[in-house]
Amino acid sequence: MIISKDTKLAEVIHHNYQLIPIIYRFKIKFGFGDGTVEQICKKNNINTEFFIEIVNLFHNEDYYSTDKLQSFPLKYTVNYLLKSHQYFNRVKLPLIEKLIHELFWEDASNKKNKDILNKFFVQYRKEVIEHTTNEEKEVYPFILEIEKCYSENKTDDLCISKLKHKSVKDYQESHDELNSALLDLKNIIIKYLPPADNSDIIERILTEIFRLEKDMADHTRIENTVLIPVAYKMENELRKKIK
Amino acid sequence: MNKVTFIIAEKSYVIRTGLIKIINGFPETSVIKEITDAGKLKKIVNNNKPDILIINSKLLDDAHEDIREMFSEKMKTKFVIFVGTKRESEHFSYFDEKISVDDNKEEIIKKLQTIITSKLPEKHKADSVELSEREKEVVKQIALGKTNKEIADLLFISVHTVITHRKNITRKLDIKTVSGITVYAILNNIIDIDEAV
Ligand SMILES: [Fe+2]
Ligand SMILES: [Fe+2]
Repeated sequence: MIISKDTKLAEVIHHNYQLIPIIYRFKIKFGFGDGTVEQICKKNNINTEFFIEIVNLFHNEDYYSTDKLQSFPLKYTVNYLLKSHQYFNRVKLPLIEKLIHELFWEDASNKKNKDILNKFFVQYRKEVIEHTTNEEKEVYPFILEIEKCYSENKTDDLCISKLKHKSVKDYQESHDELNSALLDLKNIIIKYLPPADNSDIIERILTEIFRLEKDMADHTRIENTVLIPVAYKMENELRKKIK
Repeated sequence: MNKVTFIIAEKSYVIRTGLIKIINGFPETSVIKEITDAGKLKKIVNNNKPDILIINSKLLDDAHEDIREMFSEKMKTKFVIFVGTKRESEHFSYFDEKISVDDNKEEIIKKLQTIITSKLPEKHKADSVELSEREKEVVKQIALGKTNKEIADLLFISVHTVITHRKNITRKLDIKTVSGITVYAILNNIIDIDEAV
């Protein structure tokens, strides 16, 4: 399904429930009535076109293009990315950690299994926080400044001095490590962890990890194919002008 | 995990999408490339060496010539030809399978299942789970926080060999990170939880 402005928002959710957190990220509250995407976006002060692009990107991963998304002001994209950071750090990761605490084994392996899983996850959470904090404190602000200099056609000292020490290129860091940790966790639980005695919790943990993985992959994709390339292009044009 | 890889060479978007949807219905498969242009066929297939190539007969000059001669000799690719209605009864001796646009659901699924199944044993063998004693020793040292150099010195092997072991360990266990390998080592009593860094 390709989502358009005239699609009913309720139908979008019925079609793909994985979009629930995405809708939430735009601060649309459930109980939104029978409106179309456009109507509900307007009511919530959301740029409809941007909303449609983000939702389609998440939904039609395989063949959706990022060209259109690149044309929006970067602050829209940054704002969306910030919201998803919050969601990872404040909602999803704490939830998975809590579920890990709830696991239990009747035999003597209980403490060991829990401790080791917990240790792995706490470490992973720390890495995610480091990554997102760096983006929030360094990468995103720098990119927004570049955009500001670029769009206001500024080549004054302030902009020059910023470009002197930094480049968007420095931020093309890899997301592989974080992704590998999630993949490892899935495989450990699926293949190597002794079966827990409350297997319903295992089921929930796995489901949450798969969802998080998809959500994060989408997030990373926006960073790598929209945010960084667009900012890099602006930076290069700015550098040309300065010379 | 090692998956059975497909390349689909087909101009029509509708047909390509349909084939991908059917293939994705099988676990342990992955469509790695789509080709729409006959000119790029040779290069893309040679570079990617898929397990299975599905190709529309229209993308070949002559579908009755030996398709294997187009590609590098080392490939173990199975070749599936995709044909339109008119060639219904025609036989293509150089292909492992023929799929027709007129095939019904059961027919196409059976054909694909057969050809995928023929590729699975070698995939499964490649990721056989048993670690060798040597690999277990390397797992232990990784979990203890040792560097490649330290492991090499300790086990009297080259750093290069350590790296090879690590690659094999990751492939067999499907675990990439040091923390992941550490969890594995503790769960399997290769090291004690207090020894882990
Ligand atoms: Fe991010
Ligand atoms: Fe990131």
